[in-house]
Amino acid sequence: MSLLEVNDLKMRFPLVGSRKVVQAVNDVSLTLEKGQTLSLVGESGSGKTTIGRCVLGLIEPSGGTVVFGGQRMGRNCSIRFPSMRGRLQLVFQEPAESLDPRIKVGQSLAEPLRVLKMNRADRDKRVLEVATRVGLSEAVLDKVPGELSGGQQQRVGIGRAIVTKPELIVLDEPTSALDPTARSEIIDLLVRLQKELETAYLFISHDLSTVRYLSHRVAVLYLGMIVEEADAATLFARPRHPYSIGLLSSVLLPDPTLKSRPLVTLEGEIPSPIDLPKGCFLASRCPFADKHTEETMPPISMVGPGHTVRCFKHEEIAAMDRDDDNFDRFQRNAERVLSQGAV
Amino acid sequence: MSPRRIPDHDARMGTDVMTVVRVQEREIRGSRPVDDPSASPAPRDSETALSVRDLSVVFPSFGRQAHLALDGVDLDILRGEIVGLVGESGSGKTTLARAIMGMVPPPGIVERGEVIFDGRNMTALPDRELRGIRGRRISMMVPNPRSELNPLQTVGRQIAAVAQEHLGLTKREAAAKAMQMLRSVRIPDEERRFKAYPHELSGGMAQRVIIAIALICSPNFIISDDATSGLDVTVQAQVLELMKVLVRDRGASMLFITRDIGITAHFCNRIAMMFAGEIVEIGDVELFFERPAHPYSVMLLAAFSHNPALRAHWTKDTAGRPASAVAETGCRFRHRCVRARQRCAAERPELRELRSGHSVRCHFPVVETSA
Repeated sequence: MSLLEVNDLKMRFPLVGSRKVVQAVNDVSLTLEKGQTLSLVGESGSGKTTIGRCVLGLIEPSGGTVVFGGQRMGRNCSIRFPSMRGRLQLVFQEPAESLDPRIKVGQSLAEPLRVLKMNRADRDKRVLEVATRVGLSEAVLDKVPGELSGGQQQRVGIGRAIVTKPELIVLDEPTSALDPTARSEIIDLLVRLQKELETAYLFISHDLSTVRYLSHRVAVLYLGMIVEEADAATLFARPRHPYSIGLLSSVLLPDPTLKSRPLVTLEGEIPSPIDLPKGCFLASRCPFADKHTEETMPPISMVGPGHTVRCFKHEEIAAMDRDDDNFDRFQRNAERVLSQGAV
Repeated sequence: MSPRRIPDHDARMGTDVMTVVRVQEREIRGSRPVDDPSASPAPRDSETALSVRDLSVVFPSFGRQAHLALDGVDLDILRGEIVGLVGESGSGKTTLARAIMGMVPPPGIVERGEVIFDGRNMTALPDRELRGIRGRRISMMVPNPRSELNPLQTVGRQIAAVAQEHLGLTKREAAAKAMQMLRSVRIPDEERRFKAYPHELSGGMAQRVIIAIALICSPNFIISDDATSGLDVTVQAQVLELMKVLVRDRGASMLFITRDIGITAHFCNRIAMMFAGEIVEIGDVELFFERPAHPYSVMLLAAFSHNPALRAHWTKDTAGRPASAVAETGCRFRHRCVRARQRCAAERPELRELRSGHSVRCHFPVVETSA
């Protein structure tokens, strides 16, 4: 059995003063194995964070199930329950805001252990061990968050998550508030920690460059629905859903030579999750859409090993495929440029 | 130009700014905007749209050393050119934009230098005259569109107000022009959006309204201060494409300020890197990305590499010192520089040309060793 199994998850939020509901998550199914990273990518309003909250049991799903380590998450079992404490953790987007400004970093790191009723001596030992692991010096433990840089603060956030040796960490945009240098350091740290600790990550992000590097599997969300799911390498090299293609080609990598004409240009913006389109959710923005796609929801099709896509036109798109992974090309170019003048 | 000409100029413009602007507008309406020869003495270089000369801005601080936000910035922006300005927060990007607009926020003062636009020095003009230029000849796009727009006025009204003020149009003419702008920034269903309030718009839509406001008077010079940073990537791609087309069609120039160096690679003609109030490297986009020369630029680009060894090679371990440390003497970047040597502490580097179209402020630039 997988560490995490999400089946047909639906999440509806009622609108105050209306009978309508916000359909934030629509029939999402996912699995995540021990020690693996599954990334959820999509634009704002695509339901990434809501799925993360359902996984932690912070909200009761409107439909479907979330099963973590054999336990059904929701009203009767969540990250807040004593039996679950320490097994699941969460890292937030804004490191500065997720730490108490008046509590010393060392105490913040020890807090989860205190809740688990670990004694003082063991706690201190473990905090020191974790601090070293996430690259914080002993002196930092006596500081308050305001004295640290953004990158250091996020190291504290990650340290606080791994201190209880969790099986799963939900990382909700952990790098988007950081500058590029701090961001790459945090990503390196996450990759290294996963190797050492065999923790599974549910990585929520809109930064595709980071996702490419960090993930084993990637699920692309659009209006709360998974439109494509595949291994990271497959998804970046051979995306089959028009939305994935549009999303990937919208990322502007710092290299002017990577100016390929986009295969798909998406028009307009994400529709409202209150009045969902009848057929394919992307129909209003998709260059491949026709009458049929506007009326009917496409089924999930298997287009390769472990590669699923929800699109009627995936064969048409496969025929146009150019198989060029700009992210990969960028990395090769960057290595060449950065090797110049290396002393 | 000689500063002595300014008072004389002030007097003339001051008497009836709106008349002059109206006359200009009649002449150029419907056509590509050109420099009005009657309003400005011939520019030093006919290709230069805006010229920043040795500009320094300080923020005095009681009891502490004054903060030098800009230190001797020189920047020429050519007609039809888009220049990207990149740097970390606090490097002086926004201060430069505001100095160009003639609105350095208090208590900041322009210590020395000038910004020549249309033959006039923007840093020395009185407010009344600046008001006739801002929004009309030079305009600025801001981030967080929904907080910048007036929540109590319809967006149509806010766009039209600019045209009414600067182009001397009647309310009805201005409204028609605003509607036309909504169409050209490709806001769907523009009749309805015209009457919408800012909170009724999505982020991408509100950003388009900001663009419409900035472009309605066909300004010659446009500044975008991180104006696309809050948008989702697919919407950002659309907005950038739109800006590019509109700027090109109007023959305008643009200063594009961003923290995302990736955008500059695809959107700008030239890129200027700022560090601690100085331009440390400036060059054509192709030259810059092919052979970045300043260790700071290389460090920033290395952050995008997935090769930890290469990244470590270009990033100095700043343990014990905040990563944002700026050196007081010598080269400002030296505390964070992997190539810093004795000379860097002793002597402040000057901006010098490495090759045609590529300058760097470094004693030991990265590319010289391999070029």
